[in-house]
Amino acid sequence: MQQRDNENRLSQEYTNSVLLNGTLQTPKWWPYLVSILGFFVVIGFVLFGIQIKYGLGVTGLNRPIYWGLYITTFVFWVGISHAGIMISAILRLTQAEWRRPVTRAAEILTIFSLATALVFPLIHAGRTWRIVYWLIPYDASRGIWPNIRSPLFMDPIAISTYLTGSTLFLFVALLPDLAVLRDRTTGFRKGFYTILALGWRGNPRQWKMQVVGGILLSALMLPIFVSVHSIVSWDFAVTTAVEGWHSTIFAPYFVIGAVHSGVSAVVTMMALMRWGWGWNEFIRPEHFDALARLLTVVATAWLGFTFLELLFALYGLDAPEIALREMQIFQYPWNMLFLTFLLTGYILPVPMWIFKRIRTNIALMFWSSILVNIGMWLERFLIIVPGLARRTPFVFTWEAYSPSWFEWYILFWSFCWVTLLMLIFSRVFPLVPLFEQKESEVFSDDIKIGRATVPTIFREEEE
Amino acid sequence: MSTNEEHFHWPPSDPKVVKEELISSTKRGGGFIKKSIWVLSLLSILGIVGLLGKLFLESNDQTQWGYIAAILAFILSTASGAPMVAVAPLIAKANWARPISRIAHIIGVVGIVNIIIMIPLLWVLPPLVVEGARRRSIWFEAPNYSPHFWDTLSLIMLAIVGVALLYSSALPDFATIRDNSSGTKKRIAGFLARGFVGSTVQWSTLRMRIGMMSTFYFFTLIFVHTLISIDLSLSMVPGWRDAIYPMAHAMGGIQGGIASVIIVAWIVRKYFGYENYITINQFWALGRLMFAASLMWIYFFYSAFIVFWYGRSMSDTAWLDLLIRGPMMYVFILGMLFSFIFPWWWLIWNKVRNSVNGPFYGAILAILGVFFERVRLYVPAWSVDPSLIHDKWLKVIPKTLFPDIWDILVLVGAVSSVFLIVMIVSRIVPFIGVWEIQQFNLLAKPVKYIKAHGVRVAKPD
Amino acid sequence: MVAEKNRSWGMVIDTDKCNGCSGCVTACQVENNIPLNDQNKFERGRVMSWIRIERYWEGEFPNVKARFIPIMCQHCENAPCEPVCPVYATYHNNEGLNVQVYNRCVGTRYCANGCPYIVRMFNYWEPTWPEEIRNHLNPDVTIRSRGIMEKCSMCMQRIKRGERNAGDQLQDGEIKTACQEACTTGAITFGDLNDPESEVSILAKSDRKYSLMPQLNTNPNVVYLATVDPYKDKNLGEKAKTNEH
Repeated sequence: MQQRDNENRLSQEYTNSVLLNGTLQTPKWWPYLVSILGFFVVIGFVLFGIQIKYGLGVTGLNRPIYWGLYITTFVFWVGISHAGIMISAILRLTQAEWRRPVTRAAEILTIFSLATALVFPLIHAGRTWRIVYWLIPYDASRGIWPNIRSPLFMDPIAISTYLTGSTLFLFVALLPDLAVLRDRTTGFRKGFYTILALGWRGNPRQWKMQVVGGILLSALMLPIFVSVHSIVSWDFAVTTAVEGWHSTIFAPYFVIGAVHSGVSAVVTMMALMRWGWGWNEFIRPEHFDALARLLTVVATAWLGFTFLELLFALYGLDAPEIALREMQIFQYPWNMLFLTFLLTGYILPVPMWIFKRIRTNIALMFWSSILVNIGMWLERFLIIVPGLARRTPFVFTWEAYSPSWFEWYILFWSFCWVTLLMLIFSRVFPLVPLFEQKESEVFSDDIKIGRATVPTIFREEEE
Repeated sequence: MSTNEEHFHWPPSDPKVVKEELISSTKRGGGFIKKSIWVLSLLSILGIVGLLGKLFLESNDQTQWGYIAAILAFILSTASGAPMVAVAPLIAKANWARPISRIAHIIGVVGIVNIIIMIPLLWVLPPLVVEGARRRSIWFEAPNYSPHFWDTLSLIMLAIVGVALLYSSALPDFATIRDNSSGTKKRIAGFLARGFVGSTVQWSTLRMRIGMMSTFYFFTLIFVHTLISIDLSLSMVPGWRDAIYPMAHAMGGIQGGIASVIIVAWIVRKYFGYENYITINQFWALGRLMFAASLMWIYFFYSAFIVFWYGRSMSDTAWLDLLIRGPMMYVFILGMLFSFIFPWWWLIWNKVRNSVNGPFYGAILAILGVFFERVRLYVPAWSVDPSLIHDKWLKVIPKTLFPDIWDILVLVGAVSSVFLIVMIVSRIVPFIGVWEIQQFNLLAKPVKYIKAHGVRVAKPD
Repeated sequence: MVAEKNRSWGMVIDTDKCNGCSGCVTACQVENNIPLNDQNKFERGRVMSWIRIERYWEGEFPNVKARFIPIMCQHCENAPCEPVCPVYATYHNNEGLNVQVYNRCVGTRYCANGCPYIVRMFNYWEPTWPEEIRNHLNPDVTIRSRGIMEKCSMCMQRIKRGERNAGDQLQDGEIKTACQEACTTGAITFGDLNDPESEVSILAKSDRKYSLMPQLNTNPNVVYLATVDPYKDKNLGEKAKTNEH
């Protein structure tokens, strides 16, 4: 097959054949990985059932540490979900060209991590089977609506809105690719894609609607994007009783931290996509380079917020708050976690990204992005648990918290679950948007200015 | 909606014409400019008179100084924020900002105004140790002179970095002026150009220097906002603990910076006839930034507000009493209207943004909003009775303080000195960077692709 | 009818009278069907007791004094636990009580995080009792299943019964909470704070009154009376000081 056309662009047939290699064929490792992950996921569901049967005693929670690993992981997955809109909506509105090959991956990461995050409050709640009172307010016999003042009620609203919006966004972006798949499959799958493709033929009007829809959804999703993690942060920030939580900086601090961890997760995914499906010509080092630049800015802003948060914790000179921070930063075992958090969240990865050589090195980018997410998980843990384990004036309630293996397994389960969902998705839909890839081939070009060859981009003027 | 002709207002492609047209702004010294420089200097002197009057008459009463601090914060938030309009696109490699980045740099050199207003404030700002006990501040164990010394130092640093940023970005233009003029101007420009001939090495050093200065300016600006906002308002109020406040303050600063760039760009475009250089595209992009800034304002405000409103503890309630429903309630409403509601509802319309006058009016609204915000945040904070400074929370809410004649003089003087400095600097520095436009022409070209009109933009590393 | 009375049930606890005997804790345990606390519960920090006695040591050796303070739900007028509950399982009723509706609770434990006094208990397991005690459970009080919050109700069942029995002629002191009955020194007083004649509102006007964590502005309905310190207030105190020097 011809790889390049006469203008030295990747030819469209070649793009199709390579990018559909995970969808129209099954990669060798796919069935094995899926069955292993499926096994772990099933065990997770069984454990969840056991927890429902016997109660939350199976966790390591106690009084006053009522929230632990489950809520930490919930916040973590909500954070990861900020990747999608950051990459596809914000970069779309700011016309960053390098976003194109990773938009789809970022969006499905958003959807699956959000869906997983939404499961965690259920796992975490004492009586999951009564959750209908909380999430679905239609229960006429009670005659009461859920409490709109509670951030825990705003959470499901924000998250489900975000989930709906992201799914629509993904679907709109999938349409042209669904049509490609419809034309290349037979039998049951053809029927399936035919229904989903909604009669897409690629005429100018359809393209225009698709672009308008994408831009509108991007703009409309932005406020939701910001509000989701802000509301999650208000779960903590509105609580006056917990000194470490009652901080006005929490909303933007959580959002910027979420972007940090979400974009890092996209970097991780990009490396895995290169290795798993061999899409080296489409996910190129310059994409890693651009993402790492973005991450450097985001991470530095995030560090500034972290600094302000700590500064204002000490500013009040209140004894309980200072005691809490002393415990969080200096006392074993928190100090080890705090050190790891600082190292993995900022100090190790970000200076690495200053060098272009590292930014374009796939393996190093992979590992540094993993580091960031370890750090960001620890950040949430270090906000939630020491805040609750604080030394209140009531000495008889002091407790320590050590998560049970049960909670650790559910954490592990969530990773297996998200990966499994993504792998299944990749078997049904292409992970790299074909049309975006082709469009970027057409839109970008190299020109000579003087002696230098410079990459250029075509920008359409909006009427 | 708009014709192609309008869309493709493009700088003249001939480098010679560009050069001639742009340097002409430094040469046009008509009577109007001379007269306005005189008037502005007079007003600026009035401002200094106001400061001196305040200093001699009211220097022992800290509670009267809120408006002076608010004016300092206002100038810091508007003029000093302007270079951000050049810095951010530089980092993002955005080409559209090239025609207005020089204007942003020029407005950024007014740091000296901040320093002048800061001097009398040094006398009235309470020391770290009040009545034998250390008051709450971010200078936990630092020596006694700390807030005064570091605040002044940071303002001086910002002023120097602002000048350095303008100087490095104007260097090639000095060389151009040197080669295209005569007499005193040639000598001054020649001295300033420091032998810049445009060799490859000089250009690459220059690019690096501008990049570094921009980044440095950004960090200094955030740093100064943090210090000034905490030391000159937050730590004057017992129990006001608001971690987002410095960032919200800096955000207001960026909003004000964008607004001042839009206003000056609009005037420059009109007065010097630079319709082909500063086009609708720049206003459109700046309008979008303004829109985003107004949204950011409400986001930061709400992040703080919900925590205090929901928390309901003693200090939380005191915050609401002091800054929202207290002595400055009407100013708060005005600030909310002009910082958020008006610019947001005005600039949300693409038709408004995609015009020259739309963003200009939006900028005027927003700059008023920044002013009201600063008054709301600083005046009540300074009015708090200094004897309460060690309390855990604010127990006595002060009464509304109205500006006196000195405050008004200082405001007039500060604003006119900003314009004065901008006008004086523009006598030697072109309002639009000659080399920026030459590069703009090199890197971007209007093209037609099948049926669509567009621009082909090059993105060099 | 109850609403017209406009009652505000409250409690005054005289810490000067408290000797830390834990009688109230036991009485509460029996009255309110609280599961027994075994060693495992203590080890895992999941002790259930609606009222707890906190002990503090005050002063330097040899003038050390043990101080006791019973802490239970403060029934705050401005309760941080109430607005955060997504299902209105905890809310403020019109008699000044912060009530917990077990049937609504889904167990998010958010209220417990909001509570500055840490008096809310969570049922990590299904409650169990030894066979012999099961027959002694209080029939007036619901047994809470696993996964829900519970806390001091100020003996809601006794309030209701008292109101029902007395009708309109409810006298002050007619309703006694379990902890109040059990308190040997009479440190706990319960009654209507809106009735200016009641014992509890007279005590609540004492000079010694204070409430826990006033900086949080929770406005509790449980008022504490400070300890009278003989070392500080009387000549005895002067003596102790001279001994030190």
